[in-house]
Amino acid sequence: MSIQALEDRRNGAGPSGSSSFNVIAAGILAGRRWLSVVSVIVVLALWQWGSSHVSGMLLPSPVEVIGKFLDPSWLARLMSALGQSLIQLALGFGLTLALAVPLGIVIGRSKLMRQMFEPLITAIYAIPPVAFVPFLVVWFGLFLEARVALVFLMSFFDVLIVMIAGARDVRRSLIDVGRSFGARNGQRLRLIVLPALMPFFVAALRVGSARAINGMITAELLFAAVNLGGLMKRSTQQFDTAALLSVVLLICLLGLVAQSLIAMFERRILHWHVRK
Amino acid sequence: MEKLRSIMLACVGFALFLGLWEIGGRILGSALLAPPSAVAVDYVDLLRQGDMLRELAGSLRQMAVGFLAACIVGMPLGVAMGRSDVADAIFRPWVSMFVVTSTAALIPLFILTIGTGFMLRVTIVFLASVWYIVLTAYNGARGVSPMQVAVARSFGAGTLQIFWKVTLPAIYPFLITGARIGLVHAIRAMVLAEMFVIIGYGGLIHRSGLLVDTGPVLGLLITLMIVSLFFNWLLGEAGRRLAPWYEQQRVTL
Repeated sequence: MSIQALEDRRNGAGPSGSSSFNVIAAGILAGRRWLSVVSVIVVLALWQWGSSHVSGMLLPSPVEVIGKFLDPSWLARLMSALGQSLIQLALGFGLTLALAVPLGIVIGRSKLMRQMFEPLITAIYAIPPVAFVPFLVVWFGLFLEARVALVFLMSFFDVLIVMIAGARDVRRSLIDVGRSFGARNGQRLRLIVLPALMPFFVAALRVGSARAINGMITAELLFAAVNLGGLMKRSTQQFDTAALLSVVLLICLLGLVAQSLIAMFERRILHWHVRK
Repeated sequence: MEKLRSIMLACVGFALFLGLWEIGGRILGSALLAPPSAVAVDYVDLLRQGDMLRELAGSLRQMAVGFLAACIVGMPLGVAMGRSDVADAIFRPWVSMFVVTSTAALIPLFILTIGTGFMLRVTIVFLASVWYIVLTAYNGARGVSPMQVAVARSFGAGTLQIFWKVTLPAIYPFLITGARIGLVHAIRAMVLAEMFVIIGYGGLIHRSGLLVDTGPVLGLLITLMIVSLFFNWLLGEAGRRLAPWYEQQRVTL
């Protein structure tokens, strides 16, 4: 096989992708993307049309929402609130990763640990984390500590469960190959188990970050309303639905950016792994 | 033998957890962390007062409406997106946008537009669970083996027949899994919305949180846990009945 073909395979292209086929595929793909754009435009147009028939408090038009979002003084407030929100997101989610990833590997690698703790974890996972809020108030008060705790609680078990599943499924044969080539315990962990776990780590990041963002905004609304949650609460009190929607838009964008950053990270470090 | 061993070990895990909790509770006191022995006493009280079960029944009824609506909309939508590139292209931007948007962020919006009544909870539960149901059904529909479809076609099955006899049965396990994932999110959303407007079971949790004793709150959480595990088990059983091939094709959560 030529170097070029290897390169192609590494970059995800098929080993023998004929150029005419690629052109057709690109055409179809472009056609489909065009449909997505149309779908977005049609819905936005319907929304614009519908909003002209009801009061702006019930349904502001998309133009109003974007206008509010881009309004310089409001945008500045949004951004400073977002900055504060991201601090607690980073603290809570960082704590989750620091604890859930090693714990998941330890539990997942040992059958005994799995049999002992998996049912317990399933049971605790079944409780909606948000129901712990009164409890968190008692322990952590209403401010930063409580918000970090909720972000942690909302993402911890999702990450833990994915990591346990990943650590359990590291292929026996890979480890045996390492052993027969004389890899010691530490080397097997570092060179075989951890790389084999990377796809699951990325999956855990994807699930966990969505949960953590959810926890962030939940915390800002349910404890003392501050940052983005505070802006939402104030907009609600002023019946300013456009401002409210602009915060929702920002949270939506935050989620999309997080997912695409993780996808970029995945492409960079997991070029050898084909996602099913 | 193996089964007995794993049950024993699970019990050891629970016993360890309860033991640590008991010790922690004794040290910290009921105001910070009621130990399991105290929670058990509170739990009997909660059952006897009847508030807990009554609120639970009311809340679950509303949740069921939102969750069923999510299944009715989400399952066909996911299958359509998985089997048709056109449907995929049309709905994909919306699904990927909504699935990353926190439900909590939508609650103030809906309180403003539709109030705090029955529709609020139904809408929030629907929006929290429908996208997971769509995405799981989508993955299932994408993964239908082309070989099975080709076999059916070479035996002379028409498009509709292939859909009813081959594609759909192959997707059943994913529909069940989607319902299970969706249900977890539906219960979470129910509690979230109710804690927000202090109503129903979530409201009960909120009010109990104001007490000095943490025992009743923990008791309410345990009931939620039992409910969630029960419905999850029920859906799993339903999956095994409706589609005996469920276990083999079961996708990991």
